[in-house]
Amino acid sequence: MAITLAPKDFATATPAWWCPGCGDYGVLSALKSALAELGREPKDVAFVSGIGCSGKISGYVNAYAFHGVHGRALPVATGVKLANRDLTVIAAGGDGDGYAIGAGHFLHAVRRNPNITYIVMDNQTYGLTKGQSSPTSAAGYVAGTSPQGNPDAPINGLALALAAGGTFLARGFAAQPKKLVALLKSAIEHDGFSLVEVMSPCVTYNKINTFAWFKENTFDVESLEGYDPGDRTTAFATLSAEGKIPLGVLYRDARATFEKLLHLPEQPLTSLDLLAKRTELGALAEAYR
Amino acid sequence: MIVNDLEIMFGGQAGDGSLTTGDLIALLFKRMGLEVYTYKDFPSRIRGGHTNYVIRAGTTRGYGIADAVDGLVAFDLETVEAHVAEIRAGGFVIFDSTSEQVPRELRRRDVTWYDVPLARIAKVELGLELVRNTVAIGVLAAVLGMDGAAVASEVGAVYRRKGAKVVDLNLAALAAGEAFVTRYFSEWPSGYALERRPDGERLFMMGNDAIAYGALAAGCRFMAGYPITPATDILEWMAKHLPDYGGVAVQAEDELAAINMVLGAAFAGVRAMTATSGPGQALMTEAIGLAGVLELPVVVIECARTGPSTGMPTKTEQSNLNHLIFSGHGEIPRVVLAPGTVEDSFYLTARAFDLAERYQCPVFVLTEQALAQSKATLPLLDVDSVRVDRGKLRLEPVVFGDYQRFALADDGVSPRVIPGVAGGMHLAAGSEHDPSGTITENAANRTRMMEKRMGKLEAMRADLPRGIVHGDPAADIALFGYGSNRGPIVETLDRLTRAGIPVRFFEFRTLWPFPEDDVRAFAADAKAIFVIENNYTGQLERLVRYVVGPLPHMHLVNKYDGRPFRPLEIERAIAQHVALRAPAMPEPARTKGRL
Repeated sequence: MAITLAPKDFATATPAWWCPGCGDYGVLSALKSALAELGREPKDVAFVSGIGCSGKISGYVNAYAFHGVHGRALPVATGVKLANRDLTVIAAGGDGDGYAIGAGHFLHAVRRNPNITYIVMDNQTYGLTKGQSSPTSAAGYVAGTSPQGNPDAPINGLALALAAGGTFLARGFAAQPKKLVALLKSAIEHDGFSLVEVMSPCVTYNKINTFAWFKENTFDVESLEGYDPGDRTTAFATLSAEGKIPLGVLYRDARATFEKLLHLPEQPLTSLDLLAKRTELGALAEAYR
Repeated sequence: MIVNDLEIMFGGQAGDGSLTTGDLIALLFKRMGLEVYTYKDFPSRIRGGHTNYVIRAGTTRGYGIADAVDGLVAFDLETVEAHVAEIRAGGFVIFDSTSEQVPRELRRRDVTWYDVPLARIAKVELGLELVRNTVAIGVLAAVLGMDGAAVASEVGAVYRRKGAKVVDLNLAALAAGEAFVTRYFSEWPSGYALERRPDGERLFMMGNDAIAYGALAAGCRFMAGYPITPATDILEWMAKHLPDYGGVAVQAEDELAAINMVLGAAFAGVRAMTATSGPGQALMTEAIGLAGVLELPVVVIECARTGPSTGMPTKTEQSNLNHLIFSGHGEIPRVVLAPGTVEDSFYLTARAFDLAERYQCPVFVLTEQALAQSKATLPLLDVDSVRVDRGKLRLEPVVFGDYQRFALADDGVSPRVIPGVAGGMHLAAGSEHDPSGTITENAANRTRMMEKRMGKLEAMRADLPRGIVHGDPAADIALFGYGSNRGPIVETLDRLTRAGIPVRFFEFRTLWPFPEDDVRAFAADAKAIFVIENNYTGQLERLVRYVVGPLPHMHLVNKYDGRPFRPLEIERAIAQHVALRAPAMPEPARTKGRL
């Protein structure tokens, strides 16, 4: 029986406490719509987030939510998925959480390709600690910890993920709710690791990469004639090109999931009878006679 | 003549097969009916560098290494240089004289020397230098007067799966070794004999294997880990066996990922663990705090090695006790269990999973290299005795809005649901939260939630594995220790008891929450108390002192050179403070030269 769900079924009693106008509201709203439209019940959704303004999002979605330590959302989400592959597992965090402190896990999650969705809410700054430069801040970005300009080149998360073997790479914009819902739905339905980077402007600290700036400096790859998300070379070229930031599904590919390559049983590990096969278990000792 | 009580040390270069040979001879001793303990002293590299493998064989189960080496099998001169001083007066050396000679100054007169060109015999008589190790076993068997047919039968059995050709070659190597002894050394008895006893219903297992086996028996179905000596064996064992039971083992990209995967799996409702050693443990610290505040059942196996930093990765130490008990920012309830034998490694690990789920907190199993990577003989394990008690896990639907994941309870333990359970949706946050999971910084709530979580430490007391009191509980001399030190401590106790000096020994099995009542009761009225441990600062001694107070008759017996205690070292330390009427033990020569 199909279950009809509405975004409000994913609402929590706790209101979101982001700054008025924050891009993260757009991500939250789009995610609730995507889950409702896909008919994923709150009880079957595990939502893991990291630390930072964006990390607070797991507290605003009615689901089995896990708000862990900084940078480790992906390992937690991987553990949840392997334990119960029937769950819809989503991880979310900011550019600092994913591309700085969690960068190692990011690459390894991409290459493993577990069937989880990762939303990186990119505001190009550290908001919760009041505006330091982040791994996606432009070189030269002036902030409290980089008064003479950010000395680091920005990280291109999608290009990194493509190099690491990513199978679903998309970028959305918090101010384009309909497109974002569609991207998130495709990502959740993708059989494998899906990365959705969302341009989510910080209205308080980032005075450069504003909503207006993003409107001016982004374009949708659907506007490119004959753009083929299955073409890796084109995806690389598009992601690496100077100039406007590409939005949309940049790349998609089919590759065996981590679950499959680990030969994980079809049923969730949580449903196993822990006292099964006691005879075989006892027989293991024979090798130690 | 010394019968059925000896310590053999095999030494050579890493990668030349001394460890494999050691494994084989240890198994041989076990099959001959002896109680065996092995200790690997190998360098942290794959080829080259001195390595040795110590095999203690006797008739008492549970002892560790002996006071001295009885027989040294040296595949090179470096082994003689490094260990000749550790040989007991009256002991012997089997030396491969193919390409090196032992200089006169190293040839102790109180030791019997068997110079045998092991490699040349292997190459010339058998056509394969590789079987040098088996030639050495033949020599050793002959020197110990072992039943040749029985030795051949066991060696044949070990090589059977490699085919008849390999079996024949090794049997010929054995025979060549024995023949050399008969031909050249029949007039030079070693003074040792090994007589066959019934093997009986016993196992011969490494500590790490017993830990992994215990975890599997307890229903652990998820493991994530990162390779690190001396814990890697556990991940490899689980990777091999878990899939047969529907589970999965993941090699993570680092320990941060490993422990967070374990938290995720535990959150989702699977019995989950990781295994690591000091450096990895340090990286896991933050996530373990998270497990404490999220009230997740996770099991962490800590196979301690020498620290700090890289330390000596393949050497033993007990310097991580403070770390397990006190590490982390903020305060959480946690349990630290410490098995003292391979057998208890199985049972305590299995128990750890029940404790973790019953009290919804991290449980550590603390072991160290000298137990984790040592093999020992043990009675058959009672797999059927392992229970699976999942505590307050709730799998039936709950009423959304009424259900509180972190509900206050007398024992601090709340009913726990897992994803998929209808109505149970909640936020599990590392931020302080109220009973429903909602994040709040309210002062009264903070106080209540701290008391709820930390209260588990008292609630679980009666459920924790009790320590074991060995010896005479009324003895004047009282010893404290845990882990691999159980072996040498018990041997010391047995020896002093036989000499008419009663001793009592409290073997910790739970180190945290600290068993204060048991420690206080045990230490009461003792005339001299010794805390025996492998670290510099006396981490256990400080905990004991905190409970029983500063006592003038309490002494720390510690060692931090990366090697396990020999019983004589403990006996000497006791003798510094207590007049022992025991007959003086022979003074073994101090180790000189390169180590």
